[in-house]
Amino acid sequence: MATTAIPTDTELLDNDKTTSAEPKASGGYSAENITVLEGLAAVRKRPAMYIGSTGEQGLHHLVYEVVDNSVDEALAGHATRIDVTIHVDNSITVTDDGRGIPVDNKTVNGKTMPGVQVVLTMLHAGGKFDASNYKVSGGLHGVGVSCVNALSEEFDVEIWRDGFAWTQDYSKGDPISKLRQMGPTKRLGTKVHFLPDKSIFSATEYNYDTLAQRLRELAFLNKGLEIHLTDERTTDAKTGESKQQEFKYIGGIAEFIKHLNKGKQVLHEKPIYMEAERDNVAMEIALQYNDAYSETIFTFANNINTVDGGTHLQGFRAALTRTINWAGQQMGLFKDVKENLSGDDVREGLVAVISVKLSQPQFEGQTKGKLNSDIAGTVQAFINERLGAFLEQNPQVAKRIINKAIDAARAREAARKARDLTRRKGALDGGGLPGKLADCSEREPDRCELYLVEGESAGGTAKQGRNRKFQAILPLKGKILNVEKARYDKMLGHEEIRAMITALGAGIGKDDFDASKLRYGKLILMTDADVDGSHIRTLLLTFFFRHMTELIKRGNVYIAQPPLYRIKKGRFEQYIKDDREYVSVMVKRASDGMVIRHGEGGAQLEGAALTKFMEQLNDYLGFFDKVEKRLRNEVVTREFADLFAHEGKEPARRADFESPEKLEAMRAKLEAIAKTYQFKHVGNVERDEEHNIYSVNFTDAQGAVRKVDWALASTPESRQMLAKHAQIKDLLVGPFVIEYAAKGGKTEETEETSEEAAAEAAETPATIVETRQVKKTAKGPQDPVEKATARELFNYVIEQGKKSYDVQRYKGLGEMTAEQLWQTTMDPERRTLLQVRLEDIAACEEIFTTLMGEDVESRRKFIEENALDVKNLDI
Amino acid sequence: MAKALFCPTCREVVLATNEYFPFCSDRCRLIDLGKWASGDYKISSPIQDPDLLEELASSQRNKPSEDDQD
Repeated sequence: MATTAIPTDTELLDNDKTTSAEPKASGGYSAENITVLEGLAAVRKRPAMYIGSTGEQGLHHLVYEVVDNSVDEALAGHATRIDVTIHVDNSITVTDDGRGIPVDNKTVNGKTMPGVQVVLTMLHAGGKFDASNYKVSGGLHGVGVSCVNALSEEFDVEIWRDGFAWTQDYSKGDPISKLRQMGPTKRLGTKVHFLPDKSIFSATEYNYDTLAQRLRELAFLNKGLEIHLTDERTTDAKTGESKQQEFKYIGGIAEFIKHLNKGKQVLHEKPIYMEAERDNVAMEIALQYNDAYSETIFTFANNINTVDGGTHLQGFRAALTRTINWAGQQMGLFKDVKENLSGDDVREGLVAVISVKLSQPQFEGQTKGKLNSDIAGTVQAFINERLGAFLEQNPQVAKRIINKAIDAARAREAARKARDLTRRKGALDGGGLPGKLADCSEREPDRCELYLVEGESAGGTAKQGRNRKFQAILPLKGKILNVEKARYDKMLGHEEIRAMITALGAGIGKDDFDASKLRYGKLILMTDADVDGSHIRTLLLTFFFRHMTELIKRGNVYIAQPPLYRIKKGRFEQYIKDDREYVSVMVKRASDGMVIRHGEGGAQLEGAALTKFMEQLNDYLGFFDKVEKRLRNEVVTREFADLFAHEGKEPARRADFESPEKLEAMRAKLEAIAKTYQFKHVGNVERDEEHNIYSVNFTDAQGAVRKVDWALASTPESRQMLAKHAQIKDLLVGPFVIEYAAKGGKTEETEETSEEAAAEAAETPATIVETRQVKKTAKGPQDPVEKATARELFNYVIEQGKKSYDVQRYKGLGEMTAEQLWQTTMDPERRTLLQVRLEDIAACEEIFTTLMGEDVESRRKFIEENALDVKNLDI
Repeated sequence: MAKALFCPTCREVVLATNEYFPFCSDRCRLIDLGKWASGDYKISSPIQDPDLLEELASSQRNKPSEDDQD
């Protein structure tokens, strides 16, 4: 078989026989150089054995065989240009400007015939087995062109050599004419024209692109070689010219790389190129990284695309891994990388072409897909040296390449950890459930609920309070207090994530995740009604969104609504879910019949307007308190708000601090109250040259210097406070006089009894009527009360509201008893659940990204916009 | 909902029709999952309440001294 270029019949390779003839012109390539190894016989009988197939692939292979002969002439330094033409009848002409096939006579097996006839009619004939002639040759040479001849209806050869043109015609492998000497010429070269035998090939139509691709490849691999491809079947409508392409690449495989990376984002502009000949191996290597993750390596041995790699690829890979690791060490880039970069890491985004040329290459396999020659060491040493030097001389490029590989290593590590999440499954069926999970007894998923509860203690309460038939509890630990940095860190650890995945039973990842295996119809997130709780919820929702999107789409995910307050009077009880509701309930209670006159003019507020004002005031005061914590003086804070608040989108304006006027006014206010609050000093308005802004400061009774400046005004809490202040500015002017409307004027009052009173009435009618009456008397005409500030007013009103209630504020789920938690949050009859929809969660994703993100500005904005959640009303 | 989001890992635009949504690719999905698995995702917020800070600081201070006494 002709898959290796090693002759089976060594006798004919004997030096005596092959080199005895006198060397002729044209580089000593004559018929004497041709050795015959086997007769041309069974090719027509079993064509697939020689050219792979009789389909499209085999048909094109014929062209490659002929072209490879010409390329070999180029490799030997004798040819510079090859022309390939597809004719209208799908016959092919290949012309080169090499030395021309020998035409002198040679005696083989007792027969004397021209060299060209030996080459074209005898299998395994050719000059390629004589290393002195072609150092390097590839293709299926030797089987070569005689096969093409055997499989062609028409096969004509024209040779320009020894001062004359020569022609001979063949059909199906047999000469149908003698070699004819034509007119004189100075030209050198060979032209082969053939028409594939239609009785042999099932495909007869040549594909232009297929040929173009291989010819381009050959042009890349043999730099400087010019290959023209013409398709006479297609003509340009305008010019009437045939379709034509020229392939010539001075840059060789470096240009090949550019071609492969076309349209890709490359890490470095120029491909890294190296070339040398060592140990009789000519090596040419080019590589370039792009920002993608796949690896593209083409390897060639003697122009044959070794699709299965081999020793040259092996040497290249070893050298690349070693050199990049070495360079990374040298440059100190591995500080936070534990292990060495692996081969896979350094090949991410790599595009490389390795081309070696050597005499007598050893291949493995029928298709010559793998190079076996022992050259791995040579290739490796060469690349170690050259690539190492390149990386040293181009530290910028080196850094980019190495960092990309480090990224790849990190990704690999992340992927490993991700796989670990689900890999350790319990040995026993069902025994794999996490230990912390308190499962339910029901097995029908649609009827089951899983509560994901923040914190062990709340988890414990939930376990006691649940209905164990259908409610399962998984406590999640989420809080870390980072005292050194004065921060709360909220995270879900590896164990928590794993426990969750296992409990859900639906797996994770593209291949493993199966929503139909979900063990619970409802997943209910139950977290504290505070900032930390909302953070844990954000984390959980983000995780579900990213890795169990399907559950959100199917509507399996819910958020529990635990109450924030409980108000109680006698046997009446009401749970209130947030501060807003609390304030509105209290105000509603208190403002019943209440009239407030405020300001100098004595404007009145009552009913719905009063309730609205109290709610706004509640928001405002929340932020006011935060600002006051910075200034440590209520009056100063109020004056600050008064002076610097603006309506509209920009509640705080830098312009106020760019000129001294407002700050002078602030200073005047400070002076005015300095005595009252024993300020030690009130400073002058000062200008900060660097930022061109003014500020004023004062030293309070404790000796601390407090500053009113742009930094203060631009904090999120100030901006919020100033915005709210602007909204209710007119209503903030004291003093406030609280009066109660005369009872008679409010005839409809009894109808206005609130829901809770109705509930009371339903439960214990007798008592209620009684208390109600008592209350009314208590609330009856009272002396007007005067309050100086809005805060005092607010406190008074709330105080009035909660007078007759026992109010409990829950700081966390853990403060509730199991019974309370069941009643308010878990009992399907009474609870409210928020179903999480994809829209919500996309917003959550945004929140998450913002919270995680490096973008300080958007983070600040976000916190500001959502600062309401941060408000903490202490009662 | 938004028709497109940014891939959480590489910040490329991802369409809702992508089979790896909300990621752009399986690789990015895996990297993200790896981050969850190694506890890289933390929401960190400053402790704003000065009283709580005070409390924390003193409890920190007390701890070692208690240890000393033991």
